[in-house]
Amino acid sequence: MNPIDLARERALRARRSVVDMAASGVGCHLGGSLSVLDILVAAYTVAQDRPGVEVVLSKGHAAAALYAVLHQVGVIAEDPAPLYGKAGAPYTGHPSPKVPGVRFPTGSLGHGLAYAAGWALSRRLLGAPGGAIAVVGDGELQEGLVWETLQIVQAKRIGGLTVVVDVNGGQNDGPVADISPLTRLPERLAAFGLEVIEIDGHDIEKLMDVLVPRERPTAVLAATVKGKGVPAVEGKAASHYVKISPARARQWKAVAR
Amino acid sequence: MTLSGREAYKEELTALAAGDPRIVCLEADLGGAGHPFARRFPERFLNLGIAEAAAVDIATGLASAGLRPFLSTFAAFGTWRAAESVKLGLGYQGAPVVLVCPYGGASGGWFGPTHHGLEDLAVVQSLPGVRIAVPCGEAETRAVIRSAAAQDRPCYVRLARNEPYEAPFPPAGPGEVGWVHRGDGPACLVSIGEKPAGLCSAATRERPDLSHAHLCWVDAESLAQAAGELAASARRIVVVEEHRGAGGVASTLALLLPGHEVLSVNAGTSWLSEGGDHDETLAALGLTAEAVLTAASLTPTLTQGAT
Repeated sequence: MNPIDLARERALRARRSVVDMAASGVGCHLGGSLSVLDILVAAYTVAQDRPGVEVVLSKGHAAAALYAVLHQVGVIAEDPAPLYGKAGAPYTGHPSPKVPGVRFPTGSLGHGLAYAAGWALSRRLLGAPGGAIAVVGDGELQEGLVWETLQIVQAKRIGGLTVVVDVNGGQNDGPVADISPLTRLPERLAAFGLEVIEIDGHDIEKLMDVLVPRERPTAVLAATVKGKGVPAVEGKAASHYVKISPARARQWKAVAR
Repeated sequence: MTLSGREAYKEELTALAAGDPRIVCLEADLGGAGHPFARRFPERFLNLGIAEAAAVDIATGLASAGLRPFLSTFAAFGTWRAAESVKLGLGYQGAPVVLVCPYGGASGGWFGPTHHGLEDLAVVQSLPGVRIAVPCGEAETRAVIRSAAAQDRPCYVRLARNEPYEAPFPPAGPGEVGWVHRGDGPACLVSIGEKPAGLCSAATRERPDLSHAHLCWVDAESLAQAAGELAASARRIVVVEEHRGAGGVASTLALLLPGHEVLSVNAGTSWLSEGGDHDETLAALGLTAEAVLTAASLTPTLTQGAT
């Protein structure tokens, strides 16, 4: 199977796994996990071929997608879905370094981007290869820490950093546009010295091309759909946090795409 | 000439970096100008500007990659502005970042409460696993920086402003009690930091029967090691610290010694918005040798400036 088809296949399997996590008894951030999932598959596919490239899921509430993808790419050996949210298992609602493949704990928004910037800077200081791919949410861009970090990235010329924004348009309490809109976002990111690329956040092939960390820091604005790939929740703001029964999970997985 | 703690830190870190390529020096616009580290190792020196929370997170990222970042900013900003970054990086992740913060306590004097660090230890003490040092004078500051570089542990180092301090006692290491004066009376004064050491020395000149112990490392782990020796020395322990009562060293020590009488002479509860140098500010906050003597002599309920 060619790498693109393999990545798509992994994404489909991971989607079904995320649906299982929504049926875990505690539910999960389903909408944002499904919106970011193709980005994560692409990011880990990129990172696996490149030593020293670290993927940081800054929007840690999409932990379900992270665990599902890490399982599909072979970093987490066991199936995390039956263990999600369970006592004694490391698969918490926001990821911690106890999970294989997770270097930094995230979930308190904004920090993951700064950790990624530190990691990218470490490549320069150590003379080591690699860089960082930080995956942030669009709502997350309301955090001051994001802009404080980008200020430093620009000032200290921190290269090897890709900031992917999962632009799904939603946040906990509703649409980003209603709560605190991200006015002129491409221009704002460009003003911080980032090369700005706007793409379809579900086009894995293109994502695998643009996510590769480059010398000049890059912002990838990935347009996504909340709940992507599961018709019952696709495009619905109410998909932010979902708890379903195992029977419903079976129905949703059967039609997942 | 004796160096202030701030200058001693800069000199010692620069000397250490010659033998340890992992050391990275980070500043946040409050000490970077003319830094000897910047002259000697410009590629490993980064002044990240006025962005403390991001600076702590970036330091955490560097530490995760095997580097040993030392990050300096004022105590009020390093602990409070960046509080969550310190919690998640130094606490939760245990990242071996050394946060070196001058302007601890009321050393900022006339700069006012925005620049006082009277609650910094409470923030850091609440984070399990983070080591805390409050060194006195040049030699102890240098020893703390060397120790922090060798520990591979997260550390918080609280310094004062620019005033040099001639310490009349040798440096105390982690878990060690530095005995400044041994009396045969029922109370032992425990000083934390330079000004409190001076107050305790003044108090023991007045009352030679009081003992005076000095602690440099004051995280719960270090205090647990020192607690037994302190408890064996006297019935009453009077901790003198440039900090609020809540979350200070006395409160931690009291939890470690539930059967002992642990009192605190501290900076009280007021938000002092008036001028004055370091000594005048402390006096206005009630942190005086008289308050120390009162706490050593009277019942806890009657002590002035003590909680």
